[in-house]
Amino acid sequence: MIDVRDVLYVAVGLFALFNGLMVVTLSLVWLERKFLGRLQGRVGPTRVGPFGLLQAVADAVKLLMKEDVSPGPAARVIFYAAPLLVFVPGFVVWLTIPFARDLAVRNLELGIFFFIAFSVLSIVGLVLAGWSSASKYAALGGFRSAAQLVSYEIPIIMTLLAVVVVAGTMNIAEVVEAQASAPYAALLPLAAAVFLLAGIAEVGRTPFDIYFAESEVVGGPFVEYSGAHWAVFFLAEYVNTFVIAALMALLFLGGWRWPFGADLPPAAGVALVLAKTYAVVLVIFWLRATYPRLRIDQLMSLGWKALIPLSFAAVLIAAAQQFYGWPVWSLTVLSVAILAVPAVLQVRLQRQPAMERARRYARRAIAERARGTGEAVR
Amino acid sequence: MISGLLGLLTTLRWLFRKPVTAHYPKQHLPVQERYMGFPALLWDDTAAEPFCTGCMVCVRECPTQCMSAQMHDNPKFASGESHRRKIIQTFEINLNRCILCGICVDVCAFDAIEMSYEHELSSFSRTGARADLGLLLELGGRYTETTQWQATNPEKNVASVALAKRAAAKTQAGEAEGKA
Repeated sequence: MIDVRDVLYVAVGLFALFNGLMVVTLSLVWLERKFLGRLQGRVGPTRVGPFGLLQAVADAVKLLMKEDVSPGPAARVIFYAAPLLVFVPGFVVWLTIPFARDLAVRNLELGIFFFIAFSVLSIVGLVLAGWSSASKYAALGGFRSAAQLVSYEIPIIMTLLAVVVVAGTMNIAEVVEAQASAPYAALLPLAAAVFLLAGIAEVGRTPFDIYFAESEVVGGPFVEYSGAHWAVFFLAEYVNTFVIAALMALLFLGGWRWPFGADLPPAAGVALVLAKTYAVVLVIFWLRATYPRLRIDQLMSLGWKALIPLSFAAVLIAAAQQFYGWPVWSLTVLSVAILAVPAVLQVRLQRQPAMERARRYARRAIAERARGTGEAVR
Repeated sequence: MISGLLGLLTTLRWLFRKPVTAHYPKQHLPVQERYMGFPALLWDDTAAEPFCTGCMVCVRECPTQCMSAQMHDNPKFASGESHRRKIIQTFEINLNRCILCGICVDVCAFDAIEMSYEHELSSFSRTGARADLGLLLELGGRYTETTQWQATNPEKNVASVALAKRAAAKTQAGEAEGKA
């Protein structure tokens, strides 16, 4: 039997969350432009408000004032529904994300499962947006988004599975409580790294923004959108980024539980979670400022050849540790050992055999000249 | 993977550097020493007149035909204050057309024109881009001041030196005549 008060509670909670996320998005837009600017030796926005703080507001007002057009041959109903299909899953996930022990709209027992189930849904919105725009670029972008998001959903699920195996629960708040002694980023560095990379790919931020690559498919599924509908896509991108950062903070960085323990007042706990989330967001921006966009084949090979095997390895480590009852630190040791494999492989690959042969010849020639044989090496 | 981490360090280092941005209208960076701004006319202090004789060579050589000039007989030549028979009367450069190529400077035989450092000459009026003789001389004065400019061929172009040289030549010629 559905309780009316219950429904009302969820509705009010979601409304508050929605408004909170708007503010967060504005702050992220400002933070990204400012931080990216500083990383590139620029200053970022300075003109609108103090330190350019109102720049994001100005951007939003500009977008809302623009004319909202759709192409003539577009499938109009789907065209206008697609932005919502992208935004709503990213937003609904917040239903179960806790900011403190008891501060979630609804702390679901299967919270992580809920996140996985809904985060996949945004693919539908992107593909529909691409298809309904009746534009080749949009369609290409839509297909790319499908390929990318389906590929990167696997490492996300597997790394979350590793966390679930170690924590023994799918309730996000309880996962946080389980990190009392050490955050899972320390126990499962492999899973944390893979989750962060796959998460960035999942929200399509810059090293992985294949599906709206401006230089290739001129904005991908969003080519034909303008004004408020484009703004919804924009919003979804930032909200999704914030979801990934929040999950990283909660599931891997210890949320409100680590490093200050359980007797933290709830407000300080919320502040701690937000601080960790923003720190992860800064790392995501940092990656964006550092790496150029991957090619689509590089993206696919990174996903399928590196992240997916590594994420399976993370699950196997976690499962073996739980099954055989190994000490907790063995997780860290095994993770680091497995992370070392690609590093060593790459060092070996990057060594240049031609240069080394040249160096060997040079050494021999010098030795022979010192001996006075004069037999130069040809 | 390792080089990727090194790349992250590179961008991180930039975070702690001072941004290179200069907020232009508030903050002016000094121009380079070899910066070529708009051409400016130079002022011969020794005769209190411009170096320019209005020979029109720059007007003819200008690839964009942005210059126009008129000359007249120099009253100071008649009174013996200057060695220049002709002097510039009006000179106008259309700064919209000028491409800052410096050909006018190269062809000038009288040390009369130089590429100044001026680059902020925009105005709100439609005719604001026409630099007349007075403005050009003012720019030249500023250029002379900042660079301690010296004429490359003073014997020919600086009035006091040229007059002295002529007077010396005349007395020499007179002595030679007297001897003869």
